[in-house]
Amino acid sequence: MPTTQLLSEVTGSVWEISAQPGQQLAPGDTVMVLESMKMEIPVLCEDGGTVVEILVAQGDAVAEGQPLVMVAS
Amino acid sequence: MSPNPPTPSDLAAAPETPARSPSDSRQGRLDAEFEQRRERALAMGGAVKLERRRAQGGLNARERIGHLFDAGSFIESGLFATSAVPQDSERSPGDGKIAGFGRIDGRGAAAVANDFTVMGASSGATNGRKIGHVKRVATQRGLPLIFLGESSGARMPDHMGSRGMGLLLGNDGTQYQRLRETPWASATLGLSYGSSSWYSVMSDFHVMRKGAVLAVSSSLLASMAIKEEVDPQELGGWKLHAEVTGFADLVVDTDEEALDAIKRFLSYLPSHHQEAPPVAAVPSGSGEDMGDILGLLPTSRTQVYDVRKVIRTIVDRDSLFELKARFGKVAVTGLARLGGRTVGIIANNPLHKGGALDTDACEKITSFLVLCDAFNIPIVMLADTPGFVIGTEAERRRAPGKIMNFMNALSLMTVPKLSLVLRKSYGQAYLNMGGGRNSDEFAGWPTAEISFMDPQFAVKVVHGLAPGAPGFDEAQAQMDRASAVWDIASVYAMQSVVRPQDTRDYLIRMLDVHELRLTRGVGRHLMQAWPTSF
Repeated sequence: MPTTQLLSEVTGSVWEISAQPGQQLAPGDTVMVLESMKMEIPVLCEDGGTVVEILVAQGDAVAEGQPLVMVAS
Repeated sequence: MSPNPPTPSDLAAAPETPARSPSDSRQGRLDAEFEQRRERALAMGGAVKLERRRAQGGLNARERIGHLFDAGSFIESGLFATSAVPQDSERSPGDGKIAGFGRIDGRGAAAVANDFTVMGASSGATNGRKIGHVKRVATQRGLPLIFLGESSGARMPDHMGSRGMGLLLGNDGTQYQRLRETPWASATLGLSYGSSSWYSVMSDFHVMRKGAVLAVSSSLLASMAIKEEVDPQELGGWKLHAEVTGFADLVVDTDEEALDAIKRFLSYLPSHHQEAPPVAAVPSGSGEDMGDILGLLPTSRTQVYDVRKVIRTIVDRDSLFELKARFGKVAVTGLARLGGRTVGIIANNPLHKGGALDTDACEKITSFLVLCDAFNIPIVMLADTPGFVIGTEAERRRAPGKIMNFMNALSLMTVPKLSLVLRKSYGQAYLNMGGGRNSDEFAGWPTAEISFMDPQFAVKVVHGLAPGAPGFDEAQAQMDRASAVWDIASVYAMQSVVRPQDTRDYLIRMLDVHELRLTRGVGRHLMQAWPTSF
């Protein structure tokens, strides 16, 4: 089963993690929310899949392009 | 038409025309030869190759032409063309590229379809002349031009050596010239290298079928050059071109969907740059959800939303045709209709990066502005952006140059430009999104905030106060009031404050006010020679 990484599209911090390992995601589901530029930026799983691993924790600083979640499709 | 070549027994069984007179007999012989040659040309690369394609689920070049054009409207140019190399003439029906003219929804268009079953649709002397002729006719007579890309690139060994180069390349100084006189649309439907790729990236619209590859040269050649294995999909697959290069305006699963997308794209455009876009009937139900549109905007200014829902609510029902949806996602670009008239929509999308404009979005918007200006399509800008993405990465990606290309394109446009601020519009991005006199009509919702920077940052810069510091909340409240839409409307730097529910009616009315009556809807095309990618 191929896995893909969801990457952070912004530099910011992890505000809230809503997905759990093993969770099924429909296309467009939100897996976590980042805080950047005074905005709450959702991280979406555009193609859907199953969460394999969450790679960051709440409050972590993240850089643009940093892997956040492993998803199997 | 039959895809199978005639067999000797078929030819032997062909009914002979009774020889009633010498002229009848002559006619019969001419017809028989014509038919034999026609059957041979229509057989393309032969039954085995055609069957292999069919088993893989793709259409062949003639089936693609059949799906693209209105039934019975295609007239072929160069049916009897073959390779100019004598020993290849028998195995090169059409010389691997099918060219001609047809109609799409009753409107004329020209096309070149690569026939991969004939010598990999490689480029040769004869098919180069076919492309040149069809391009010339399309340009001079005002017809959209369609390329159906699938080619192995330059034909070997024809191009080898200085004689080969001299005979085959560089004999048409306009081959890769683009002045946007007529729309070009392309599809990459298989392996596409060399000129097939060049025409696709030069087109106004390019759709890729999943599994297809668009690259300079094949993965085999690339592997030889860099001495490591190259995966074709990594080299030029749909994900690369949809998400990284932005060369793919749309990605689809099948050939039929790709051809339908080309038809849909052309339905928004005029046939050439000297006419206004066609006007369509307004679908029933258009605008019926306008009363609820404010509900799409979150009540908290720190929360995001998908601006595509706002766009779909405003424009004619089901008329939004988004381009480059997976590239530069902080902005949405798409063709749509308002009151039946074609418009180009440019909107910030807070769903991604809060709507902050990055370099990919600048390139995406710039190329879209050039498209709209070339083909007389008014634009509607919907602003909700905290500004441009800043930082070391943005500078490394040449952000100042990209921001100014976008700005210059906007200022060079001579089609009507309407701009509406939905929520935030700050700093330079305010100008890029049509603020002030960078649009013909500048308007805002009552929810609009306009300033040089976000009020929270402004309090820090102006007063040296951080959140939580004494006096911060009062200072921010004052900044918030000063950023509201009413002050800019009071000095008439914004012409209208529009209630969200009135937005569709306002835009349709203003498109009518700003119609280019003096030139019958035609702009000046000051960017017709701008690059075809940025």
